[in-house]
Amino acid sequence: MRIAADRVLGIALIGLAAFIAVQAVQLEIPFSYEPVGPKAFPLGLSILLTALSLVLVLRPGANGHWPHRGLAGRLLLVLVLLLVYALLFTQLGFVASSLLVVMALARLFDATWGKALITGVVMSVVGYFLFTAGLGIALPSGHWFDAFI
Amino acid sequence: MFDFLIEGFGVALTPLNLGLAFLGAMLGTLFGALPGIGPINGIAILMPLAYTLGLPAESSLILLAAVYTGAEYGGRMSSILLNVPGDAGAVMTTLDGYPLAQKGLAGPALGLSAVSSFVGATIAIIGLTLFAPLLAEVAVMFGPAEFFALMVFAFSSMSVMMGKDPVKTAIGAVLGVLIATVGVDSGSGVLRYTFGMPELYDGIDFVVMIIGLFAISEILLMLEHAHRSDGDGKLPPLGRVFVSLKEVLACKWTMGRSGLIGFIIGVLPGTGASVAGAVSYTTEKRLSDKDNSFGTGNMRGLAAPEAANNAAAAGSFVPMLTLGIPGSGTTAVLLGALMLYNITPGPMMFTERPEVAGGLIASLYIGNVVLLALNLPLAGVFARVLTIPRWVLVPAIAILAFVGVYQLHSDLFAIYLMLIIGVFGYLLRKLGFSLAPVILGYVLGGLMEQNLRRALSISGGDVGILWQSGISLGLWVAAASLLVLPWLLPKFLPKLTPAAKR
Repeated sequence: MRIAADRVLGIALIGLAAFIAVQAVQLEIPFSYEPVGPKAFPLGLSILLTALSLVLVLRPGANGHWPHRGLAGRLLLVLVLLLVYALLFTQLGFVASSLLVVMALARLFDATWGKALITGVVMSVVGYFLFTAGLGIALPSGHWFDAFI
Repeated sequence: MFDFLIEGFGVALTPLNLGLAFLGAMLGTLFGALPGIGPINGIAILMPLAYTLGLPAESSLILLAAVYTGAEYGGRMSSILLNVPGDAGAVMTTLDGYPLAQKGLAGPALGLSAVSSFVGATIAIIGLTLFAPLLAEVAVMFGPAEFFALMVFAFSSMSVMMGKDPVKTAIGAVLGVLIATVGVDSGSGVLRYTFGMPELYDGIDFVVMIIGLFAISEILLMLEHAHRSDGDGKLPPLGRVFVSLKEVLACKWTMGRSGLIGFIIGVLPGTGASVAGAVSYTTEKRLSDKDNSFGTGNMRGLAAPEAANNAAAAGSFVPMLTLGIPGSGTTAVLLGALMLYNITPGPMMFTERPEVAGGLIASLYIGNVVLLALNLPLAGVFARVLTIPRWVLVPAIAILAFVGVYQLHSDLFAIYLMLIIGVFGYLLRKLGFSLAPVILGYVLGGLMEQNLRRALSISGGDVGILWQSGISLGLWVAAASLLVLPWLLPKFLPKLTPAAKR
């Protein structure tokens, strides 16, 4: 059997469907006035999903273009950057975390250091005042930033 | 009968709403022109911000709808100038638009596409005005069983019409419906798929879902295209900026026909601008391509898909406003936006919230005129947007996505969830799924289950109620035949197949 992305996906989805069905069966329903209850709908969906996934396993489509290794590394890097952004967002505050992440992202998308720095400074500082003063969104300022204002 | 429209113009013509329609049209054109940011992304990014402004429901709907129609206008820019469709609806625009630009006629091509977009949208908005109240009157008779059947019909029509692979479209829709089951079950109070996380009790937040699914996955996809040259900074010369009246008049029937086709296709639930563009292009090619010049820079080949995709965009408001069933991925997002305001779109909206339904329709008229006025003279300015480098675009999307999600509850859980959904969306797109069915499934899933359970509660558990009425039986038959016909037709009508293939 040829290994195709669609086959892997189909098998993964059947696993998901089984998980959903097991979870649905295990739901404990105190008392219900209605005949259907919360189990039936997810159960029906998991059956449907299984049937559709079987089609995918039996008749997989073209494999598509998957990123080669270098690109996959960069993709992971972008994801890590976004994760770091999330981690630093409240810790360092919006301005500092955005500055760092915007610069790194710009560099990843082939900006020069100078351009990346300018983009980072403009977006983080202008963005901060636009969002807080303009739109009234409360953003984490970061404790160190308070000292400057 | 048209009271709602009069009231609607009263709403839409207030300075605030006029300004919002203008702003939305402007932003929408920009978003549509930006590579990779189509109407859904534009709305996904703007919606949380519009929400924080504390606008009333009709105002924020006017803003978002203007972004939607504006993005359909903007999508043609990169199609014509760079041969890269800005969104799915503009794919067919590249076929004749780009050759025209290569001939040095980029300016007239932009002008003509703006005019045909205007004509197509106008036809569809008039259709919406006439048709929506009628359909709403019929839809009032719908009970839960009919609504359930209608949603099944919407999903099956979507599976057949949307995307290349019907199985994947269906899987996408099922996944979307499943995501909607997360949270407290409204019928019984039982927690489903929350895995002990209190943040999930209310389900997966709509804003988190669309920003993750569209904006974050787009960032990841953009990385792949980062090194592919899509004409970084090199635009073809625009030539003369205005299209001549003669050129426009030569296409008048093309625009009219394509506008009608686009409207009808837009009204069908689940099928949107991309299908409309393709159908109108092939129709027009068959009707008026006498010297076989379609695909080499024929003005009609440009006018047809542009009129049709804008008509479809407006037409997809018909099922959304009257039945609460979105006609496209983007209207699914707009529907979700309405639900944030505790408005359930559907037949009662024309009587209960005429200011929302009427205001929206009226603002579409206004927005359409604004868009034409903006796009004819400013085509050159908007074209500049295409030269914005990705290293500016991507960080900007990231910041807007983070801020948009963070402001919901000021906690990080939503942001992590958004990232997870983003990776999920990226994988789906790489596997050849289109995301519109996922979002449609997610938006309709809750309603679908509620209607099913309500119907069965009425009948005391008898499944027969689902196809007892004529309307629901008809919808089931229509849904089934949509699924079966694509396999059966080629067998019985072998002669038709070459013409049916696109």
